[in-house]
Amino acid sequence: MSARKTAIVVAPGRGTYGKGELGSIARFHGARFADLVADFDAQRRDRGQPTVTELDGADRFSVATHMRGDVAAPLIYTATALDYLSIDREKYDIVAALGNSMGWYSALALGGAVSVEDGFRISNAMGLNSQTHGPGGQILLQVVDEDWRPVPGLREKLLDLAAAIDARPDHALALSIDLAGMLVLAGNEEGLAALLAEAPPTPGRDPLRLAGHGPFHTALMFGSSDKARAELPVALFGRPDIPMVDGRGHIWRRFSSDPAEIWDYTFGHQILAPYDFALSVQVAVKEYAPDAIILPGPGDTLGGAIAQSLIGIGWQGMTSKADFMARQASDPILFSMGRADQRALVTGQR
Amino acid sequence: MDAAQAVHEKFLGALASGRLPSRADAPDPAAAGLSRGRATDIFLSQLTSRQMDRLSRHLQARGEGFYTIGSSGHEGNAAVAAALRVTDMAFLHYRSNAFQLHRSRQLPGGTPTWDMLLSFAASSEDPISGGRHKVIGSKSLAIPPQTSTIASHLPKAVGAAFSIGIARRLGMTGLPLPDDAVVLTSFGDASANHSTAQGAFNTAGWAAFQGSPMPLIFLCEDNGIGISTRTPTGWIEAQFRHRAGLHYIKCDGTDLVSAYAGAAEAADYARRTRKPVFLHMGTVRLYGHAGSDVQGAYLPKALIEADEARDPLLAGAALMTEHGWMSAGEIAEAYQEIGATLARQAEAAIQRPKIITPAHVMQSLIPPKREVARVNTPSDEDRKAMFGSDAGQMDKPMHMARLLSWALADLMLAHKEIAVMGEDVGPKGGVYNVTAKLHQRFGSARVVNTLLDEQAILGLAIGMAHNGFIPMPEIQFLAYVHNAEDQIRGEAATLSFFSDGQYSNPMVIRIAGLGYQKGFGGHFHNDNSLAVFRDIPGVILAVPSNGRDATQMLRECVRLAREEQRVIVFVEPIALYMTRDLHKEGDGLWTSVYEAPGEGAPIRLGDVGVHGDGTDLAIVTYGNGYYLSRQAEKLLADDGIKARVIDLRWLGPVDEAKLVAAVGDAKRILIVDECRITGSQSEALMATFVERTPDKKLARIAADDSFIPLGKAATLTLPSRDSIIAAAKELLA
Repeated sequence: MSARKTAIVVAPGRGTYGKGELGSIARFHGARFADLVADFDAQRRDRGQPTVTELDGADRFSVATHMRGDVAAPLIYTATALDYLSIDREKYDIVAALGNSMGWYSALALGGAVSVEDGFRISNAMGLNSQTHGPGGQILLQVVDEDWRPVPGLREKLLDLAAAIDARPDHALALSIDLAGMLVLAGNEEGLAALLAEAPPTPGRDPLRLAGHGPFHTALMFGSSDKARAELPVALFGRPDIPMVDGRGHIWRRFSSDPAEIWDYTFGHQILAPYDFALSVQVAVKEYAPDAIILPGPGDTLGGAIAQSLIGIGWQGMTSKADFMARQASDPILFSMGRADQRALVTGQR
Repeated sequence: MDAAQAVHEKFLGALASGRLPSRADAPDPAAAGLSRGRATDIFLSQLTSRQMDRLSRHLQARGEGFYTIGSSGHEGNAAVAAALRVTDMAFLHYRSNAFQLHRSRQLPGGTPTWDMLLSFAASSEDPISGGRHKVIGSKSLAIPPQTSTIASHLPKAVGAAFSIGIARRLGMTGLPLPDDAVVLTSFGDASANHSTAQGAFNTAGWAAFQGSPMPLIFLCEDNGIGISTRTPTGWIEAQFRHRAGLHYIKCDGTDLVSAYAGAAEAADYARRTRKPVFLHMGTVRLYGHAGSDVQGAYLPKALIEADEARDPLLAGAALMTEHGWMSAGEIAEAYQEIGATLARQAEAAIQRPKIITPAHVMQSLIPPKREVARVNTPSDEDRKAMFGSDAGQMDKPMHMARLLSWALADLMLAHKEIAVMGEDVGPKGGVYNVTAKLHQRFGSARVVNTLLDEQAILGLAIGMAHNGFIPMPEIQFLAYVHNAEDQIRGEAATLSFFSDGQYSNPMVIRIAGLGYQKGFGGHFHNDNSLAVFRDIPGVILAVPSNGRDATQMLRECVRLAREEQRVIVFVEPIALYMTRDLHKEGDGLWTSVYEAPGEGAPIRLGDVGVHGDGTDLAIVTYGNGYYLSRQAEKLLADDGIKARVIDLRWLGPVDEAKLVAAVGDAKRILIVDECRITGSQSEALMATFVERTPDKKLARIAADDSFIPLGKAATLTLPSRDSIIAAAKELLA
């Protein structure tokens, strides 16, 4: 038996490259992956966009600039892909890839269904493209208590309310992303306003409107879907090298996955219907039983959702935040590469 | 070497050497409609199923797994799954792992290997049986759970297929089966010989022969052997190629393209013509019947080797390599990778919780209650229109058979999902006229005249219940249910248990039975044993003694079926159907005026009937025994003995608290049981009273352990009014 451990990788979505991450791409990867960064920069330059190097190397973090889709997406992708390439493969055997929301585009590259360069092409295009929608956005609501256990009935109440609001004339509201401990609901302005007015009390912080986000993963994104199909051809896609778990919990297997079907899902269902991130994590751990879960890319905010997804199925006996924290302290299962100590364990570099 | 290991090594050896079988005679995937992606995906499911079989044996050896009947050699059924829709209900036999794994590919979000491993490990988190049994089954994949098969699942598959056409005719929507669904049922060549299977083939053919829709695929996975007994070469084909009403299609399950082509043709035929198909799929059985079986003990080595050469994975590998879809090296790598993944999963799965309390085991014996649509109470006008000239009779006292027939009509009017089926239940009105006029009132879609086969009648009911109906099958005579007993005992009653309450087949089985028919009919029409129903967990047994009770109890049974998803056996005493008088001719005391729905005091499950409040004696009885005890009670009163008579009404389960309360302050208890003493209710009642009322004097009379003869001898072995009086007096002496 080799000492090599198995791991799944989970690519983060929007909102993960923040002030603390500024400069991290150059710091972590500038030397080792200069060629790739140069390729990404060239792609941006060709489209008349500021380069990754420029954005990552800015003097200060600007919400107005860095949080915009056409900037955030390529930064997050770059950090994610290069982190992935930095994982010590002598130590970790990656057995499946998945992502959250735009993290799916990263997962395509991590899984080998597209090249690292084309992964950037797709993420960059979708960062801009995802701004193709009518008025609307996303609201984040917490549905677990401080010990990360579900508040009884709250999830159902919110989903029922969303369905009721959606049924009203001129209102649109639907589940956008299921993050286990949090739900992201998306809709048009009327729908979001009604939700904020009528939502039952939720634990933790108040419902949060996500700045700069569109009504992702809803039918309101049809323009984005059409545009993506028109500008990102099937030819970019191939068969994955490792299994990928998508936002429906479907497993795209090695060898058998049809590139045209991956393309169709990526620019169809994935854009227009809810992204069940919690389910994708649960499917991945059940079907691949990895020793570790690695979260590459900027920040560590997705770690909570991953942990809550595990708690949701009592994975390896973890049924609360306390269980998870104890496990992390004794025999960590989740490694966030945005945290220096955990990054070192995964990359073998200090 | 272990046989499974030998097959495993042969496969890897063939990949390493490149010596794969020729597919020269096998069909072309493109011509069969199989793309590279689909064919490869089927092949990966087959590799997974195979590795799972190997793993199950390793787990058993470690004491962590509990099931080793494998699917090895039968992986062609993955291709059948690919040719069907996920909504095509599938009643599968136990070598169907590859089918279930591959069907799951159609429904994103599933975790089929994890789920199956939980089932191997008997974890309470096993999503189909909750750790109660290794079954092939899944609620989301429309695979009702099935375990060791004796072909007992075939009749209900026929019933489910039949229900699709009925639902369409009735315009019912929102049922579990879409109206263009087909039903699949699979079995081996050995179980094709089972009388239950033969009955199902016959029923499907009989129905199709006369044009009834029957969109059904019988998938015979023919591996040429049943445990150690070989099927004569050519037997299955010879039997089924020209069978009336069945369309025969043959394919080779050891080649996934042939299997897919055959299955696709079968699915298309069944869906398009709504006629049954017999899909004969050749398979091999690799490494014996189950983990403990050493086939070298009874099969010649050459035959075992010939079977191993037909390993479907070898043909699959040949397909992959000849098209360049996977190299031999990639296949070996994928196969090993799947094995390694499963091994990791298994280590996690065996850590999951197990069932540790009897209460947990029994939790799903009875299905959960469910929300049902509110009863659409028919208006007086609707009822008058339905009853026609009968309406004018309703203020007159009637006997039980008439009251039951009116109660049935009212129930069918109120609940559109009720269907009645049985031999002669149509225009003839059933054997004792209880279904009289139902056919005329509700049509042949809801009142189904069946062929003469009790397994088919009960199978039809079970299958229709799977599709949202509330069936009320009629069995003509109690003695006739015995040839079909397993449909209740092994199938209907176990469904909730094996599916953790997710599947149910609610129904009310009406059976005419018991003795006292004035010497007519002999044993087969006077059978007086209910033991067959009394020990089945979860089944309710009701025996009314009079028309008013029968009406209210039948309504309660339908409520129990609709709202609580229960399986109920409702035994109607034949001798009391037309009985009008109790003490003397013309007293009319055994008749009553029909209580319309909502009228009269309802009788709930467990409610006992009590006549009188005498404290000298409580006579505890049911059915004909209650009728005779009522006669005896009057004569005992004339002699100054004050008795009360308690009608159990519900024999399974008996509500002991209510029974003891009904006995109350009566000093003595006499149990009167018309059934054969061995296995009769009287045995349980004696135990109940010994345990719960030890201070009371107790005695019983029951029928002798005999069959019922003809003529005047018919009642010699049964309790009578006079023997009840004698027993009561003895108890008081």
